[in-house]
Amino acid sequence: MEYEDKAGRPSRPPSPKQNVRKNLDFEPLSTTALILEDRPANLPAKPAEEAQKHRQQYEEMVLQAKKRELKEAQRRRKQLEERCKVEESIGNAVLTWNNEILPNWETMWCSKKVRDLWWQGIPPSVRGKVWSLAIGNELNITHELFDICLARAKERWRSLSTGGSEVENEDAGFSAADREASLELIKLDISRTFPNLCIFQQGGPYHDMLHSILGAYTCYRPDVGYVQGMSFIAAVLILNLDTADAFIAFSNLLNKPCQMAFFRVDHGLMLTYFAAFEVFFEENLPKLFAHFKKNNLTADIYLIDWIFTLYSKSLPLDLACRIWDVFCRDGEEFLFRTALGILKLFEDILTRMDFIHSAQFLTRLPEDLPADEVFAAISTVQMQSRNKKWAQVLSALQKDSREMEKGSPSLRH
Amino acid sequence: MGNRTDEDYNFVFKVVLIGESGVGKTNLLSRFTRNEFSHDSRTTIGVEFSTRTVMLGTAAVKAQIWDTAGLERYRAITSAYYRGAVGALLVFDLTKHQTYAVVERWLKELYDHAEATIVVMLVGNKSDLSQAREVPTEEACMFAENNGLLFLETSALDSTNVELAFQTVLKEIFAKVSKQKQNSTRTSAITLGNAQAGQDPGPGEKRACCISL
Repeated sequence: MEYEDKAGRPSRPPSPKQNVRKNLDFEPLSTTALILEDRPANLPAKPAEEAQKHRQQYEEMVLQAKKRELKEAQRRRKQLEERCKVEESIGNAVLTWNNEILPNWETMWCSKKVRDLWWQGIPPSVRGKVWSLAIGNELNITHELFDICLARAKERWRSLSTGGSEVENEDAGFSAADREASLELIKLDISRTFPNLCIFQQGGPYHDMLHSILGAYTCYRPDVGYVQGMSFIAAVLILNLDTADAFIAFSNLLNKPCQMAFFRVDHGLMLTYFAAFEVFFEENLPKLFAHFKKNNLTADIYLIDWIFTLYSKSLPLDLACRIWDVFCRDGEEFLFRTALGILKLFEDILTRMDFIHSAQFLTRLPEDLPADEVFAAISTVQMQSRNKKWAQVLSALQKDSREMEKGSPSLRH
Repeated sequence: MGNRTDEDYNFVFKVVLIGESGVGKTNLLSRFTRNEFSHDSRTTIGVEFSTRTVMLGTAAVKAQIWDTAGLERYRAITSAYYRGAVGALLVFDLTKHQTYAVVERWLKELYDHAEATIVVMLVGNKSDLSQAREVPTEEACMFAENNGLLFLETSALDSTNVELAFQTVLKEIFAKVSKQKQNSTRTSAITLGNAQAGQDPGPGEKRACCISL
């Protein structure tokens, strides 16, 4: 052994270290950094008792290190196995989606088998296709229409940047200043959309795509315009679809009743959604519901961010995409079911928190939320209240609020 | 004024951060509560929260800061956030005149929903970008003086005046609370609104402005 040569004591057989090493079928990494040195030759040797003690300590240390490393190696092996298993099941799922489900979409998409597969997460390679099909194209937007809207948006950007006056007056009611502010806001928000991915920012590969979709949308729906939160939705779609298809999915997604209510900031309707959410909240988690009530923690505080961005800002992206998978299938109800799942998952700690800690916790969820736990929690949430489903509860509340509005037209929260 | 452990406090002051999108509200907050600045922070949707406990004299004051979204469209839904606030930092970007031009609208919004006695500081942020300045200090200072607001210029990036801005607002609130002669110092959120009429200066009344830097 090298060190013994250096120590100049080849005459002491057998070295304790050699003993240890001989017994090892598995060489711990740390022993290479952990070598029992005898005293240098120019110093008096250790007393036998001390040397013995050191040897023992050394052996114990090596043994512990070996144990640790064995464990670590096993963990890594297991992780790798699990990963392979996951990848294999994704691979199988891709085949099923591509060969069986997608060609027979209309007949198969609502079957039990497909629903089960869907719940487990759509493989990223077919995700965009499935989302497009599930969201549909009620608005009948064509690629040509996208091109037209985009061309118009570009025209506006040019005329704004050259300081030109009104291009046309077809958008009466939407002043040049508003459009400019909206354009400025889009620019500002693009740089603040998934900044850690570094792909949507100025100079990044998807910057122009995101800009195009948001710009084209403000031309397609000047009555809605750009609203914060949209950039996150468009970005998630861009990650899964080509520009024009992303635009089609984007416009149709925003056209859904819940999204329209939020992005038009229809205050009354949003309150109705929150009220419906609270019905199911109380039903599913009465203890936490009462605790929040006591602490004046209203649902809008955490739901606004979650609903506006469809969880893409508040959850890890992989998990958010899985939420989107089922949202595309089940509609708005699933957004609120997810919220209840998150609350359920953290019920114990939330019931021990005061207002500010709960609010802080819910507006900044842990970054390492495991998807399986979240989905397990969601699956236990019952979207049934006194035999009424989400849509029924919502429409009953809507009716109530319409009647109340008739009574006092300027009713505000 | 040192930090105390977060859970050990005598007062909770709710303070809101308001102002146009992109003026740096979130970074001012993260600088104050965590001494962090992020060049690539995310758009705030709705509201986010942070707290920090500071000592004012012998009292531990927990600042509960509500960082709101700046988008005008959101105002209808975010107005509830002002309820119970005793302090506000109305932030503009001193390199973007447009964000200063709408300060008056924000102020109106604030007084519409918050207690009239709320302590408000006008904050011109991004003072590190002085070469791109579009809002002269004197102009903003004058506006603040005329409207009874505190005023400071800050930089969340290089930390200039961030601490001072929050501390000043908290001190001012604390002074008001002390004036109310609340002999109990139990832990509860403080409202200024219930003070006897005439005892507290109204929002129109002039207060110390332009703290010497």
